[in-house]
Amino acid sequence: MTVSTDQHKEGKKDVTFRVFRFNPQVDSKPYFDDYTIPVERGVTVLRSLNYIKEHIDGSVSFRAFCQAGICGSCGMRVNGLSQLACTTQVWDVLAKSREPGIIKVEPLRNLPLIKDLIVDMDPLVDKMKHYANWVDSTMPEAQMGKKEFLISEEEFLRYDKATDCILCASCVSECSILRANKEYVSPAVLLKSYRMNVDSRDSMHEQRLAELVKDHGVWDCTHCYRCQESCVKSIPIMDAIHGIREDAIESRGKNDTSGSKHAEAFMTDIEKKGKLVEATLPIRTNGVVWTMQNLLPMAMKMIMKRRTPPPPPLVKSVKGIKIFRTMFREMTEHVKQDHKSHKK
Amino acid sequence: MKPFDIVIVGGGGAGLYAAMEAMKTNPALNIAVLSKVYPNRSHTSAAQGGANAALGNKAKDDTVEMHIFDTIKGSDYLADQDAVDVLCSEAPKIIRELENMGTPWSRMDDNTIAQRPFGGAGRPRCCYCSDKTGHTILQTLYEQCLKKGVIFFNEYFALNLSVGGSRSNGLIAMNMKTGKVEAFPAKTVIFATGGYAKMYWNRSSNAAGNTGDGQAIAYRAGIALKDMEFVQFHPTGLRKSGLLVTEGARGEGGYLLNKDGERFMARYAPEKMELGPRDLVSRSLETEILQGRGFDSPAGKYLHLDLTHLGADLIKSRLPQIREMSMNFEGVDPIEEPIPVRPTAHYSMGGIDTDNQTRTVMEGVYAAGECGCVSVHGANRLGGNSLLDILVFGRIAGRTAAEEAGKFTPGTISEAELAAQFEEIRGGMHPSGRYERYGELREALGQTLALNVGIFRESSLLQKGISEIAVLKERFKKVRISDSSDVFNTNLMQVLELKNMLDLAETVAAGAYARQESRGSHTRIDFPVRDDSNWHKHTLATLVKGNVTLGEKPVTMGRYELQERTY
Repeated sequence: MTVSTDQHKEGKKDVTFRVFRFNPQVDSKPYFDDYTIPVERGVTVLRSLNYIKEHIDGSVSFRAFCQAGICGSCGMRVNGLSQLACTTQVWDVLAKSREPGIIKVEPLRNLPLIKDLIVDMDPLVDKMKHYANWVDSTMPEAQMGKKEFLISEEEFLRYDKATDCILCASCVSECSILRANKEYVSPAVLLKSYRMNVDSRDSMHEQRLAELVKDHGVWDCTHCYRCQESCVKSIPIMDAIHGIREDAIESRGKNDTSGSKHAEAFMTDIEKKGKLVEATLPIRTNGVVWTMQNLLPMAMKMIMKRRTPPPPPLVKSVKGIKIFRTMFREMTEHVKQDHKSHKK
Repeated sequence: MKPFDIVIVGGGGAGLYAAMEAMKTNPALNIAVLSKVYPNRSHTSAAQGGANAALGNKAKDDTVEMHIFDTIKGSDYLADQDAVDVLCSEAPKIIRELENMGTPWSRMDDNTIAQRPFGGAGRPRCCYCSDKTGHTILQTLYEQCLKKGVIFFNEYFALNLSVGGSRSNGLIAMNMKTGKVEAFPAKTVIFATGGYAKMYWNRSSNAAGNTGDGQAIAYRAGIALKDMEFVQFHPTGLRKSGLLVTEGARGEGGYLLNKDGERFMARYAPEKMELGPRDLVSRSLETEILQGRGFDSPAGKYLHLDLTHLGADLIKSRLPQIREMSMNFEGVDPIEEPIPVRPTAHYSMGGIDTDNQTRTVMEGVYAAGECGCVSVHGANRLGGNSLLDILVFGRIAGRTAAEEAGKFTPGTISEAELAAQFEEIRGGMHPSGRYERYGELREALGQTLALNVGIFRESSLLQKGISEIAVLKERFKKVRISDSSDVFNTNLMQVLELKNMLDLAETVAAGAYARQESRGSHTRIDFPVRDDSNWHKHTLATLVKGNVTLGEKPVTMGRYELQERTY
């Protein structure tokens, strides 16, 4: 028997699924099991796993529910990339596979492992609670159901895409900050926070924002864009993250946190020089004392060991800085205008 | 464990609304929601089209009265008219309530909630959020439950009610993370576990877990199931997977075409065309295929759902999910070419018999949503009434249980009972001798149901179905669970779900065999007309000494007299 759609009889390939295995009851550490099955074109990774579970090894454990790309249960890493098994075509993966004929299937990263391909989603739910990922309606509960809020198409479009999120946690798994810091808010929760913050029906924008600018919050993102690239619903998650940051600076000022100061220092440098003045950036971000105590000793060590050149004390402006400044101001003006029209 | 005032089984739309409403009704109550998945995974998320409510935003002359009539007519007069009254009267309020809580409804030009036409409805009254309506409603409800601090027991698989005399002591469930069987002693239990149409397996649009767990538990506890023979086939499932293409695709103007390029619905519903009610459209597709006007493919015969004339902009903005699914699962971009479709088992009209307040015959046990049967859908549900049902009756269940919990004293569930349950579910783990494979049995069940208890039914086919299901139940006793682990034993869960489907399949086939008429989704070739004098009544299926025993219950009439149903 083969996993078949009955449809495309023209092609069939032997595919080895190298599946991550770990049963906490018996295994001291994870290992991989290989299952080789013939797969026809049009078959998804999830259907292949179902086949393996039903015909070869019933103990292979993974979550799956709707099998149609809407419930978000079957998030896993397929050849290193976090995605939904149910919408991922085996042949598409094979075409890009580094090892011919082999597909490696692993659990999502950055969430505690339970068994095989199953990870614990509770930390994500806890963060949704911590950052109040709900609309706290301006309408008192007793008044609800009597009349509609009137919402413009323009406002709807601001959160429409964000409400596509199915919490599959692919972005969580791909996030480079979470790998270093499990307390980090995480991209999905930032996306949802943004969605709530731009909803005119919500009443706790200020409190949510106050939480988001704290440590482990929105300023910790390093713009690697991994979340956005891996989003199974193609949601522009980084727009949401930038949106929260712009909102934070606008609502709370430039000197609110080291995050906002850092962003402001960046802006100043780019506007003045067309590039960064790295020597003073930490001072402008975190102040002299912090820099002396926390950064200087390591920076000195790195320079001594020739891991980094000493930063030049004086930075000259880049060539063509005048034209650049004009363009830069024009852009800044555009963004401001955009914000004003949103506020309406 | 400390006894609960309310234990809600299921975390979809009905369960979450019940939880929210119960907390609102009495914040002092100790309430738990059990779900075999994280609540935001529930199948409510797959509802694409929308929820009906006579808001009058699109058609100013729409009224609750018209919604009531459409629903009753759509049900082929099997719905209870007082229940439909509750459903439709509450509709505008509950849609606005969701809106007030943050559901991102699509909007009209005047900034009110957008509405579109849907099958069997006299006015465009289906409120939607593009084609992700259920998903956004589920997200809103889950968010609001987190806000209210609802206690969730996620990834708990419900096993059985603990019954003492005429009432329940609470629920017994397995913690998937540990494999332990745990007791949930409770004053009241609400079942909201969704439908059972997945028993048709590959010929079903449902999630893998829509296995009727709540209905099966209630049935085993002696509670009657109602109208189980009525299974709705949705006209437009994707050819290969059975996955659903929303009725909204036809609401937006899509055509159904046969291999001659003909809009064949002109033959069956000349006025409503593609927007006829689901049972009629499904039969029309099936008839076209049977009479040789379908397309042929190795994956089976099919017809075309053509959206190409709608244009790329409309498809991208109003039906993005449909486009994505067609491309993922059929390799077809609906902007460029028609989508291959055929009818797919989609919705279970039948369920746990309840009154208008969601009470079952067992004191302190309630059921709501697709899991229950009030009945508001009768013999055929209208599109857009299912999301509405889970919201309206989910809320009523929460309120009723909260108000009545005080009347009951919590029962106790003994260690011995838990141990016996544990023994029972683990029995299949190490069988000796010949054993049966789970996948084979499940496949055989889906096959026999699709062939013998499908869209067109007939006496000898149904008899065959009944005896084949009996054989499968016998074979199931030797099923083997090939994962011996306690932790997240998904194989064990699948086997337990199959057990539930087998129990319920028996009631579906028995009801279909008994009902010698054609009404709504139930079409008997040997009894092609509706027979009001003998069959204008609900069927009840009860488990007596291990066998399905059929009974009946009158239909509550009201303002609307029986009429022939034409579109």
